[in-house]
Amino acid sequence: MTLKLGRHEFDGDRTLMMAIVNRTPDSFYDKGATWAEDKAFERVALVVEQGAEIVDIGGIKAAPGAEIGAAEEKARVVDFVARVRDAFPGVVISVDTWRAEVGHAACEAGADLLNDAWGGADPELVDAAAQHGAAIVCTHTGGVTPRTRPYRIEYDDVVAAAIADTVAYAERAVAAGVDRRSVVIDPAHDFGKNTFHSLELTRRLGEMVDTGWPVLVSLSNKDFVGETLDLPVGERLTGTLAATAVSALAGARIYRVHEVAETRQTVDMVWTIAGRRPPQRAIRGLQ
Amino acid sequence: MRVVLVPGVLALLPEYAGLEDPVPELRQACLDAVSWLGVEVTVLADGQGTRVAEHLLASTARSEDEASYLVVGNGSAMRTEKAPGHLDERAAAFDAGLGRVLKEPKSQSLAAIDQDLARELWANVDGIVEMSALPGLVLDRVDYDDDPYGVQYWVVRWCDDARGCQS
Repeated sequence: MTLKLGRHEFDGDRTLMMAIVNRTPDSFYDKGATWAEDKAFERVALVVEQGAEIVDIGGIKAAPGAEIGAAEEKARVVDFVARVRDAFPGVVISVDTWRAEVGHAACEAGADLLNDAWGGADPELVDAAAQHGAAIVCTHTGGVTPRTRPYRIEYDDVVAAAIADTVAYAERAVAAGVDRRSVVIDPAHDFGKNTFHSLELTRRLGEMVDTGWPVLVSLSNKDFVGETLDLPVGERLTGTLAATAVSALAGARIYRVHEVAETRQTVDMVWTIAGRRPPQRAIRGLQ
Repeated sequence: MRVVLVPGVLALLPEYAGLEDPVPELRQACLDAVSWLGVEVTVLADGQGTRVAEHLLASTARSEDEASYLVVGNGSAMRTEKAPGHLDERAAAFDAGLGRVLKEPKSQSLAAIDQDLARELWANVDGIVEMSALPGLVLDRVDYDDDPYGVQYWVVRWCDDARGCQS
């Protein structure tokens, strides 16, 4: 199915790399490495060079921490979006926010996609996407408050819950006026979930793909990988790529990542094994 | 009469297409030469070669009312250490001799191709030997003569002596 992400369209079943670009001083993986605007801009240039089709710019870390109001979030994100829009017209700009106010301002500055990691906590975010012709990522969090950690959350069936909530969110987005080709669903590994939940979602991701909505996975260096392998942040790439491979086999379309090149290779390899992409260049035994 | 030789390279088939073509120059040479043939074409090839021939014929628009043959064959596959059959020191001489025969395709010399040695060197010459039944061939042009993967490929056009070549 064609994906329409703001001003950009992607045919058929192409896979897309969404590179994480944090305008935060305290995100778990990079620990503020791209907090300075010029460092964040260098990161954008690097990931575009590595082939990322999407950059996902975020101004607030997901984990609990100091309160960041909408004004501060906009100050971190909006002008930076405009700068990236100007310098990289071919890249899809996503903004990682749950706030409609930030979504409006980001879209006015050139954002194509609103990545709502918090499952529709602000019900007016879909209106922002609709008004600006932007796309939206509909995640499942089990209804938790933004920037909270899961605590003793259980589900009768986490996959069924993820499908029900994300599909309902997707339909709500379409009803609000978002183009049906511009809606992506995301089970949101680790958000409102323990490690067993995230593993089951990975194992049964094909059920989400079967809904027909394009699926985004955000697996990169997350705690479910760390707990599975008993490895700290910084040593989770192999585990991340293993989870990526399983997700690719199931048919996930968009991969939100720290490591673009490694993920692209993994997804291309699996997509090709699955028969959805030809080899890059094949001559062995065919001379 | 028009006759074309192409190699039986499986990479020419769509079922083996990658995102990048590993044989773009060879493919173009094959298509150019096969386009020169008439509408009705007799294929001289083994089973795999026939698949290659049928694909090339289906990929070209031909309008001439001219008796035509498409021969599928190639030289040795042992020309280098990286070649599919590794290096055989006899390969270069075999291919050089075969190349001379193709440029002056006398029935007697076509029929005299050493098919045992060809098999040892992984050369496909069955269709080329069958050309001995097409008398009076003269060379029109050599479109391709190279061994990019240690296998000797030719794309060659011939016509019959009586009418002369009109390409």
